[in-house]
Amino acid sequence: MLAYTVRRLLVSIPVLIASTFVVFLVVVNAGDPVANFAVSRQPAPSKAAVAAFARHIHADQPVAERYWNWITGVLHGDFGPSVQPNLDIGHDLFTRFRVTVTLVAAAMIIALLLAVLFGVFSAIRQYSVADYVITFFGFLFLAMPVFWFAVLLKQAGIWYNQQTGSQFLGTIGEKSPYLEVDTTWNQFTDHVGHLVLPTITLALVSFASWTRYTRASMLEVLGSDYVRLARAKGLRRGRVMTRHALRTALIPLTTVVALDIGIILGGAVVTETIFQWHGMGEMLVQAVTTIDVYRTMAWLLLSAVIVIGLNLIADLLYAVLDPRIRYD
Amino acid sequence: MRAHSSALTRGLALAAGLTLALAACNSNGGGGGGSHKPSSSGLSSCSTQGKANTCNAGATKAGGSFTYTLEKNIQQWLVQDSNGNTFENGEAISVVLPQVYVPQPDFSVQLNTDLVTSATQTSTSPQTIVYKINPKASWNDGTPINADDFIYYWRTNNGKDCPPPPASDSTQTKGCLPQSTAGYDRIKSVTGSDGGKTVTVVLNKPFADWKQLFGAGYPLYPAHVAEKLSGAKVGDAAHMTGTQMTQGWQYFGKTPPSKYATAGPYKLQDWTDNDHATFVPDPKWWGAHKPSLQRLIFKVITDATQEPTALRNNEVQGIYPQPEVDLVNQIKAIPNVTYTIGAGLTWEHFDLNLHNPALGKYLPLRKAIFTAISIKDIMSKTVGQFDPNVKPLGNHNYMPVQSSYQDVVTGTGQGSGDVAKAKQYLTDAKFTGVGTALKTPDGKAVGPFNCRYTTGNQIRQSECQILQSALASLGIKVTIKPIGAADLGTVLTGHQYDIIVFAWVGSPFPGANAQQNWVTGGGGNYGGYSNKEVDKLVNEAVGELDPTKAASLLNQADALMAKDAYVLPLYQKPTFLAVQTRWVNMRDNATNVGPPYNIAEWGLKK
Repeated sequence: MLAYTVRRLLVSIPVLIASTFVVFLVVVNAGDPVANFAVSRQPAPSKAAVAAFARHIHADQPVAERYWNWITGVLHGDFGPSVQPNLDIGHDLFTRFRVTVTLVAAAMIIALLLAVLFGVFSAIRQYSVADYVITFFGFLFLAMPVFWFAVLLKQAGIWYNQQTGSQFLGTIGEKSPYLEVDTTWNQFTDHVGHLVLPTITLALVSFASWTRYTRASMLEVLGSDYVRLARAKGLRRGRVMTRHALRTALIPLTTVVALDIGIILGGAVVTETIFQWHGMGEMLVQAVTTIDVYRTMAWLLLSAVIVIGLNLIADLLYAVLDPRIRYD
Repeated sequence: MRAHSSALTRGLALAAGLTLALAACNSNGGGGGGSHKPSSSGLSSCSTQGKANTCNAGATKAGGSFTYTLEKNIQQWLVQDSNGNTFENGEAISVVLPQVYVPQPDFSVQLNTDLVTSATQTSTSPQTIVYKINPKASWNDGTPINADDFIYYWRTNNGKDCPPPPASDSTQTKGCLPQSTAGYDRIKSVTGSDGGKTVTVVLNKPFADWKQLFGAGYPLYPAHVAEKLSGAKVGDAAHMTGTQMTQGWQYFGKTPPSKYATAGPYKLQDWTDNDHATFVPDPKWWGAHKPSLQRLIFKVITDATQEPTALRNNEVQGIYPQPEVDLVNQIKAIPNVTYTIGAGLTWEHFDLNLHNPALGKYLPLRKAIFTAISIKDIMSKTVGQFDPNVKPLGNHNYMPVQSSYQDVVTGTGQGSGDVAKAKQYLTDAKFTGVGTALKTPDGKAVGPFNCRYTTGNQIRQSECQILQSALASLGIKVTIKPIGAADLGTVLTGHQYDIIVFAWVGSPFPGANAQQNWVTGGGGNYGGYSNKEVDKLVNEAVGELDPTKAASLLNQADALMAKDAYVLPLYQKPTFLAVQTRWVNMRDNATNVGPPYNIAEWGLKK
């Protein structure tokens, strides 16, 4: 398995280089940040200031040279200059990564747990009222645009706060700027209060699709010969479900979850904007709207690494879930 | 802001009943049940003539935490720097640093007597300004504010003593890049007397906008801090080297003002990058108004559409977004919130690109285009939907609230929507195909022109559509072409438009803006306008020390420019301030300092 992992990682390197170069070309040609700087300040900056800005962001260099300097700089931990003054892109990226990971991880864990729970239940109770209810809500959540659902949830959160006379649910940011009583417990509840709404927003869409996959996969496994044999041999229903059926049914879900990481990160862009979480989603929006080449590249590079890494982990998990799979 | 642990328990039962349907119903209801009449008594009088500087006034009581929104992060703390010259930085830095003249809501400037007891022009030849520094004025580390701070300011901003970084500097950090050298480059000397508490400024060339110096949104930074960190002699800014000044310049750009001595009613206690700034009253503040708030927060909310919900959820107590119909309606539905829609310093306009052969060559064509446009029609279909007080703007330099304002546009018939008159201009100039397919007198087709606006801006899209319809009646085809969110600069500097609609920010000191935007070759003269008489008048105005004469010269130039039909002013972009009614003394200030211009007075209503 080690050799397989190393091989996969080595294959990822040229993929990363090729994809970053293509994206670099696209981003560099997306607009002119120097011209933007020249008209974005009042009074308009002097010609010396505009020239200094162009030199600072390397806009005076040929594209190939800029890419080479960037990629070699990244290997040394330097992500290049931003159009934002004094912004260390590397520090910004990893600070925001922590924020997004908190949100995405919480959302994924909740979505996964609920999806398995409701998917299995739905399969076991096929065509029952509960199955129809779960199916209905699954399709409802699937059909709802994230931005719209997030706005509704914010309204619901405010209503909740008004009913309880509290400000437990936060609608902007990861935490309050200050606490009247600054205790560890209050800090914890403040964090939780700010996490609830964006997490639900991000989790429910994934939950909806993953429930459907789990249900379908579970139904297929439950109808298979080896499950019937296990039951015929007298194994208890619970043991058959958990040890034999569920384990096999999780294999396709693992693939789907790994592939959905990119979609969830995309959903985080919208969710972070609406809930004003200063994570990678907001970083991408800012970088694109200000034509910040190196900041956009940093985001794409990290996202690509995450997607490639998680797909690799998913492949490795197959071997854990299915003993027949071995990597040489 | 506060996390109540008991609320968690109480809320579990309610959470069970929380459904999307309820949320949806709630979103229409305005929140919290019951009917809520819009409450705008506090700020509602701000738009009344003469009330801009005094509305929403009231006595305050001690305590309270007020959270105000910033729409951008602060990356650069030196607002004098061309990179740090952002509205948000101007708002935040004016809380902790002093300036001589402070821009007011009515676009006038007021002497900051906490800093200087007087600022007097004692001679016109050579122009000499004498500032008497308040004897009590000092930085909060105990160092008196004195002439050295003024000398340091002048030398770092004059473009000579601390020159821009050389091309060989790959980091572009070895030099000073002031946002403007205007005025400072005309100063011959800055000297101190009376133990440094009197500052005498002598200028080489007259500078009409001398009240702009050492303030107007660009405050003083502590010279002694720069001197200490750069190894210069403390109190001797006059002899600092360029390298030493550069060190100070870079330090103030990178360092939040919590790390060095400040001199404001509040001091910056904490800056969390990209999230918020926390200010607390500075016990060393000597000024007339002692701050009453316990805490002041500037919270970064980069998406304006999220501000109403934050206000409704009491996560912020005051917001200052760009108004739109939906946003204003949302605020109206929030109980106990007062709001005002003001006429800002930013003004919307149509520009013609004179690099286009037909537009550049034929004045009658330009006049016809501007005459066919109905500004009233534009306003009623855009900003008039939420701002009934909006009026057409008739000047390119002054706003109606300013005493020097003269309407130089209406008399020309431009913006009237008079299609018959517009056709007459074309017919008289021997254009053919008027009303069908317009051709120049030498038989070339006119257009099709593009009308460009920033993508996603619904108001500007509508403005282009109205223009398209108006010009169709003259026989000119117009295609509407949006500009990418970050491409406005590329389009303007690359002259990639025929007609464009965007906005400029006016100033309490319009001379410098006029020089940039209207004079031949000026930095903001994107359309390539050139009129030697206008150049002469504007340049004279900038050097005229009599404010009345200077304004007259600018208005003469403006009248000429209006006749040349280069830029058609539409209206002042509305501004929007909304604050909870339990707070007082917050007012709309559309200048570069924003509503925090009087931050010491903000507080809980008594």
